[in-house]
Amino acid sequence: MGVRDSHGEATGTPDPVEKGFATLNTIRIGVKAMVQKDGELRKAEILSIRQRKDGPSFYVHYVDFNKRLDEWVASTRIDLTQEVEWPQPEKADKKKASTSNKAAPSKNPKQQRARADSREISGTPDALGGKNVNVGKASRPSKAGGKENRDALDPGDTIPSEVVSAEGTPKVVDFEDVEMADAQDEKSPAENEVKTASGEVITREEEIERLRTSGSMTQNPTEIHRVRNLTRLQMGKFDVEPWYFSPYPDAFSDVDLVYIDEFCLSYFDNQRAFERHRAKCTLVHPPGNEIYRDENISFFEVDGRRQRTWCRNLCLLSKLFLDHKTLYYDVDPFLFYCMCTRDETGCHLVGYFSKEKDSAEGYNLACILTLPQYQRRGFGRLLIAFSYELSKREGKLGSPEKPLSDLGLLGYRQYWRETLVELLMEPNREAMSENELAVLTSMTEKDVHETLVVFNMLRYHKGNWVIVLTDYVIEEHNKRLDKEKVKGSRRIDPARLQWKPPVFTASSRTWNW
Amino acid sequence: MTRYGGLGRTRPKKLTSKASIPIVREEDIDVIDDELQSTLQQIETGVEKAEESEFHLQVAINATAKGNVNAAHIPTPETILSNLQYDQLYPPLFSQPATYIRFSSTVEDCCGCPYNMNEEDDVFLKIFNQKRDPSTRCSEDDFEATMNFFEETAEAKQPYAAVDSPPVLAFADMEEAMDAAVEQCVKRFAKDIYEHWKSQRVAAGNRPLGASLKFETGQDTDDSDPWVCFRRREVRQIRKTRGRDAQSAEKLRRLRKELEDARQLVALVRQREVARKEMLSMERHLFLQRSEVKDMKRKLNIKDDDEDLINQKPKKKQPEMPARQPSAPQIRMPLKAGLQGADDMTLWEDTQAEKENEIMRDIKQNIAKHIKWNEGFVDHTRAPLSPSPERTFDTAAFRPAFTAQLPTPPSSDASGDAMDTALDVTSPLSGRDKFASRAMELHEEPSRIPSFRRRMGRGGRLMIDRRNLAARCKIDMDPVRADRFKFDQEDSDEESSYDTDGYSIQIMQHRAITMAKVREQAAVAAQAHAQAQAQAQAQAAQAQAQAQAQAQRRLQADQQGNNPGSNPNPAPAVAAPSET
Repeated sequence: MGVRDSHGEATGTPDPVEKGFATLNTIRIGVKAMVQKDGELRKAEILSIRQRKDGPSFYVHYVDFNKRLDEWVASTRIDLTQEVEWPQPEKADKKKASTSNKAAPSKNPKQQRARADSREISGTPDALGGKNVNVGKASRPSKAGGKENRDALDPGDTIPSEVVSAEGTPKVVDFEDVEMADAQDEKSPAENEVKTASGEVITREEEIERLRTSGSMTQNPTEIHRVRNLTRLQMGKFDVEPWYFSPYPDAFSDVDLVYIDEFCLSYFDNQRAFERHRAKCTLVHPPGNEIYRDENISFFEVDGRRQRTWCRNLCLLSKLFLDHKTLYYDVDPFLFYCMCTRDETGCHLVGYFSKEKDSAEGYNLACILTLPQYQRRGFGRLLIAFSYELSKREGKLGSPEKPLSDLGLLGYRQYWRETLVELLMEPNREAMSENELAVLTSMTEKDVHETLVVFNMLRYHKGNWVIVLTDYVIEEHNKRLDKEKVKGSRRIDPARLQWKPPVFTASSRTWNW
Repeated sequence: MTRYGGLGRTRPKKLTSKASIPIVREEDIDVIDDELQSTLQQIETGVEKAEESEFHLQVAINATAKGNVNAAHIPTPETILSNLQYDQLYPPLFSQPATYIRFSSTVEDCCGCPYNMNEEDDVFLKIFNQKRDPSTRCSEDDFEATMNFFEETAEAKQPYAAVDSPPVLAFADMEEAMDAAVEQCVKRFAKDIYEHWKSQRVAAGNRPLGASLKFETGQDTDDSDPWVCFRRREVRQIRKTRGRDAQSAEKLRRLRKELEDARQLVALVRQREVARKEMLSMERHLFLQRSEVKDMKRKLNIKDDDEDLINQKPKKKQPEMPARQPSAPQIRMPLKAGLQGADDMTLWEDTQAEKENEIMRDIKQNIAKHIKWNEGFVDHTRAPLSPSPERTFDTAAFRPAFTAQLPTPPSSDASGDAMDTALDVTSPLSGRDKFASRAMELHEEPSRIPSFRRRMGRGGRLMIDRRNLAARCKIDMDPVRADRFKFDQEDSDEESSYDTDGYSIQIMQHRAITMAKVREQAAVAAQAHAQAQAQAQAQAAQAQAQAQAQAQRRLQADQQGNNPGSNPNPAPAVAAPSET
């Protein structure tokens, strides 16, 4: 579904984008509208629609914002005074719109109404017309300020419809051309059957039934995938808002709060069950060997094969905050290095990184996460430093697995810069090769080179390459030293690392670790 | 790097990673402004392409590039302090050990009963316990254990419940699954709690009650389903060869057999122990009854021989049939009803012997037939491809071998007595008298005398067939002990203990030479004897007869073997396989 790719939009696809005015009732999934975000209007794509007591709410993705800022918004935040962009495959949509009113009579009056409420509502003679008038007005092209328009769109005035334009969802994109032709000839079958991306054909009745019972508008798995499934997370002392989708049991989508045990990372959708579990659970630290300990933190090494449940729990949790993490495969080929803070209740997981037992690409880190409740406190930097400390012990150069997330990139760039600058600033250093820097830091030569270039430290001067310690990096370096004097240094002390690189036999490699 | 620095058009030198680069401060060099832009574009961020353009990231990247680190902020959703009673849920139990923690228990080990009760269970349990007095109440732990038992049993008995949606497991099946490993409390409450479990299960569509992750189900929809996670990874392919296949198949087969054996063994042990237990209880029962009898006897003052009160030695069973040869396997056929015992039965050995006789008879008949067919025909082939069968049974072609001291021992390290040297005694005139009696002593059966024959093979190869060779190392043993070693020779290790090769060229050569000499001498002697007989006509009758026989045999051999060789003493050229 390239149409829906915001990036494709930005690079300027040759296809003309169909624009037009929409009403609250004609808005459907795939539409890009202007939505209020932090006091300004931003273009956002509607990913899902659901009905609440106080009217519909829309799950929106802001174009050029990270997905973690996607959110449910009330209809009042959508600015309908401006034209919206309709989703791409126009042909399908038009067909759908035109046929929607001629659908075979249904026994279910609700269903009929739902269909009537679909896209071209203004042209539909409606039994509930009295209420609809307002909406119809609001949908008229109006150059008036957005404010009035939004006033007119009082949530109370909108029809409490069960379904909004289900058949108008981009699901139809999945139809093949041949099927489309068929559909146009004999409209009712196409009308009554919707093909989901999984290839499963469900009838219209079934779909609506499903919509009613599940309460979610998105039947398309790729859509589900894009919509966050957990609302809120209770973990330890914090309530955390998830950032992305994670395949927790699908029943969890329906509850407001999911409970995560801070130590065993088990998950519960029921507070009583969680409390019962807490009464029995005896785990007080990650279930592995402690390999590092200093005044503040401990590191535990956990083997994915031996601690499958715990590592699965950890991956499910971290998927909530890592967009590109895949849980497609099992955790066996990974080791998990978990950073904890300690107190009298136990060792609290702060963050972790995973590492392949045997990386073909020479990666020294696969996924890295500082839990959101501990972010912006320098823990990420410690995790990165620790991963390089392990690489030093192994005598290897390493680099994190790509793609990096935005936060990951910034974190790594900062660490790389600080590490390199620190080496370059050492007294009596007059010249260094990139290779030397790489060997001393366990960074790859590529990372060393790119960091130098990114921070404009590698320059060609009078016929020779030079490493320039810019005023900026020196300033940052001094700032950091000052900060450490005040707060105490947060560094990994290699002497406290009790670790030998684990050895795996060829047979364990063959037999899935 | 294809970056053109500030130096006009000159292409910069290639920068290698090993090249040492001088480190300078910014103030030491001229600042070139346009450098910044050109460099930034070259470097890949490693971020997903679609996300690289994201607003906040771009702001942050540009900010750091410009040296403004504080602007590099990417907004994230907030986290707030929870209003949960943390201290109650997480008691302060942790005390840090002095050494680094080493830990290998799993989550399952640490979490106790995996079933956790919810509010509905609470309601049920409360009502359930109201009706009971405190001693028989069901605790929360017991309740969970019972529910967990139901869940586990259902999972074990209906592993595909999610796919073929069978009815909820009946209580009878649950009872069936209760073995010794199931806790007492579960057995106690199972019946009462079952209905509650069943109603919960029905409400959930017979799915497991606890929320569970979605794993592979082997269906096509798995692949695109975002809820399906933690798939098994394909096992890395090893190079497949037929040999490896066979090898692993063999390994698996062996493993299976061993496991099967082990299982069998355990089952038998169990059977034995059960029998033993039964026996003990029987004995105890017997003892108790006897003591009762004793008491009664005393009470009633009965005096008899008290034979019932001790265990009589069981009488020896009469052997049903006369003792047979122990080596014969006994296969007992089930008796047919109405048939009376051994009278009507023929012995296995008899049948076997009869069969064998029949076969031998057949063979002999065939041989006779062949001879009849061949009558009047002369076989002119030098060496018939297939052996003519009559000679197979021609024992006459073999000559007995006798032990003799060689004039000079072979020049090998063979110890003389370890290896009986078979000496071809071609001259019975000189040999037989001397050794025959001893040979008869050694071997009770005349046919068991070690014998041999020599024959010419194709291309004039000389072959020696042996039969009835005595064991190399004959030690006098009683037959019972000897019997134990009867099958020892199939052990291939045994062979290596013969440290001399009886077929080594050297030894055979030596033997051949000595034999030839002896033969010549014998021939000369025989001639001399014949001449002497003709001239003096007074010779020992025995010697004459033997010489004649010898001469006759030689003549016969010459004719039969079509071997007009110059060999003074040609052996019968029979290509029969040796019987040894």
